[in-house]
Amino acid sequence: MSRAKAPLHGVRIADFTIHAAGPFCTQLLSQLGAECIKIESKTRPDAFRKPHAVYGRMSAATFDQVSVNKLSVRLNLKQPEAVALAKRLVAISDVAAESFRAGVMQRLGLGFEDLRAVKPDVILLSLSSCGQSGPDSHFAGYAPLFGAWGGLGWMTGYADGPPVEMRHVMDHSAGIHAAVATMAALHQRRRTGKAQHVDLAAREVASAMIGDALIQASLGIAPVRPGNRHLSMAPHGVYPTGQPDRWLTLAVRNDAEWQALVRELDQPAAAGDPRFATAEARLRHRDEIDVLLAQLLVACNADTTAERLQRAGVCAHVSWSMVDVARDPHLRARGATTEVGGPDLPPRLAVGAPARFSKTHDVGIRRLTPALGQDEEYVFGELLGLSTVQRADLETREVIR
Amino acid sequence: MSSEDSLQCGGLPLTGCRVIEHSRTVAAAYAGRLLAAMGATVVMAEPPEGSPLRSAPPLLDGTGHSALFAFLSVGKRSLVCDLLSPEGRRLLERELDGVDILIDDTPVRARGPQMLAPDAVAGRFPTLVHVSVLPFGASGPKADWDGEELNLLHAGGEGFLLPNGLSNELFPDRPPLQIYGHFSEYQGGSMAAFAALSAWWAVPEFGGQYVDVSVQDAALSVGAFALQRLGDGSLEHRNTRRFRYGGVFEAQGGFVQLLTLEDRQWTALVELLGRPVWARDASLCDPLERSRRGDEINHHIRDWTSRHNVDDIVQRAQKLGVPAAKYRTPAEVIHGEHERSRGLFAPLMLDGGVKAEVLVAPFQFRCTPLQAGGRVPALGEMNQEPAP
Repeated sequence: MSRAKAPLHGVRIADFTIHAAGPFCTQLLSQLGAECIKIESKTRPDAFRKPHAVYGRMSAATFDQVSVNKLSVRLNLKQPEAVALAKRLVAISDVAAESFRAGVMQRLGLGFEDLRAVKPDVILLSLSSCGQSGPDSHFAGYAPLFGAWGGLGWMTGYADGPPVEMRHVMDHSAGIHAAVATMAALHQRRRTGKAQHVDLAAREVASAMIGDALIQASLGIAPVRPGNRHLSMAPHGVYPTGQPDRWLTLAVRNDAEWQALVRELDQPAAAGDPRFATAEARLRHRDEIDVLLAQLLVACNADTTAERLQRAGVCAHVSWSMVDVARDPHLRARGATTEVGGPDLPPRLAVGAPARFSKTHDVGIRRLTPALGQDEEYVFGELLGLSTVQRADLETREVIR
Repeated sequence: MSSEDSLQCGGLPLTGCRVIEHSRTVAAAYAGRLLAAMGATVVMAEPPEGSPLRSAPPLLDGTGHSALFAFLSVGKRSLVCDLLSPEGRRLLERELDGVDILIDDTPVRARGPQMLAPDAVAGRFPTLVHVSVLPFGASGPKADWDGEELNLLHAGGEGFLLPNGLSNELFPDRPPLQIYGHFSEYQGGSMAAFAALSAWWAVPEFGGQYVDVSVQDAALSVGAFALQRLGDGSLEHRNTRRFRYGGVFEAQGGFVQLLTLEDRQWTALVELLGRPVWARDASLCDPLERSRRGDEINHHIRDWTSRHNVDDIVQRAQKLGVPAAKYRTPAEVIHGEHERSRGLFAPLMLDGGVKAEVLVAPFQFRCTPLQAGGRVPALGEMNQEPAP
């Protein structure tokens, strides 16, 4: 796969991001062809290079989705000379990306104004939990906290239960939104030649996910936590089937779909039942519908039922585990999942290109998790013009570390 | 950033970008919404009866508006364009002239009669970026499958994993639970916006092209970590995917999220709890031992939070370096001091002079702040305007 036929070929990113959200963003950009130089150090290794007891991982990750395609260089940013080299990298990049707590880049001497001084049209992406301004901007956080602050956690849950904590999907959602904003800033630079500082607060992405509920709240309405229910669709839920822990999701939007559902489930009585004749009636009687469906589906095979219902025009899908995702020929055919492997990595599936392009089709994973500092020859040598002797000296003095 | 700086930067990020959005679904509408928020001119090409999203719940009593549609459509314009009629197709063709990006969610089999087949579009508009965003994408064996948010969250794998933590402990026998609203569709929409801007970036070199985005792909993409875990040999399940200690805790006045992943954060948590005897057990200095005794630790934390006020907990925790946040209600978010300070919300004018507020965008551009607020576009407002 060549980067030349990828939409972002020619875009270079100096990537200071850590954790999940920021690296996911730059990974997306790199899957579309951007050259992404990950700046890290042995003194503060990235999470995937360490054991992670919380996830039961007792050594470094052998494969790390959010670091695919990236080049790795080491810089010990506690040293002024390393900061100077980082600035030189930014000067030859289009985008600098970081995900420290607000204020850390300034303290390192790598704030927006510092970077603009070395590259007048720099695009700086700052992705943080709470943004670069505001009274909470110094707060640290992880995905569940973004969801809690932003209101998405409160709105998610059983109506009679507690709020629900968001996991990695919340980090990565922030990462996609950061990629959108970064692309917009690149277009603005192309048009105006000016620098831009993109400020993404992950908690505000969580708030965007409840954008409708926030409009309600602005009018004094207290939105209700709906659980699996829907305000205009019934049936709408997750139903047990004949196999243990094999659930069928169903969403019926209109009368025609309801008729198709009961036809496929061989329920002529339900087809003519006035309690279920219209969407409004079905909403009023949704508890009865749920009881009926639970009785009917408990004898069904989830997978064949979903296929049959789809053919009949009903929105149905099995609640998939990752084993199902990994087996799915549709996702494989689209390149949404892709097999990766190498000398030290047994074959496994990873998430591939985020979209399919008719012309710039060389998108996706080109290389795997980089070893720490594996691309210094290219980055420090070729791009920055440092000789082997200079690099050895910098290494001795722990500037490159 | 001074206002002088702001002027020098020149307009908004996407000033000058012209977009036509032909949408029935939240994903396509959200893609257009993100582009509109950043300054693109986004025209919704709507059928004569209007987009089905205009009547999508939740509805705002007394205004006739859909809160969802209001959120998705602010900053856009509306043009009625009946693509099932020759006049409507001619109108769309005229409008597409000079447009940079077309976002479309017409199912593959319905495209032909509406003049939206990719080859036909590319033939007439060689520099246009044509982005299709569909539940399962436009290619592959399930391209003709349909899905609503609930189906798609589960097709991407995250639905099966929810709820985790306290909700799962309290209700272990209930079915899996979806994330509020349209989470997967928002991922599909933001991925479509990202892909659109990336393809537009490549136009000078490659010309226009067709881009195929799938909501299921996007939902899986944000859930990539679970696939990575499968590759590591662990199949995630909502019953077991929980932090060994930490999580959601009930306090006085609300719920709090507490999470300590680093040793220093654990030490700070012990401090927050008032250095109780159980927490001073030296063996708990080992993160693995803490994981093993997670239930016991959570029992103690739960007891402690139940006796303290949620706001006090969060304030002290953040001061000490314990990652902690209150589970805030929508009302608390919209009135939040932090959000107010950052200008996250702007006035939204609804019919009948009702003034609401709407989230501007989930990102900021510090050199050229986004313009805020607006109204819900009236159906076909552009059809009434004289032709330019």
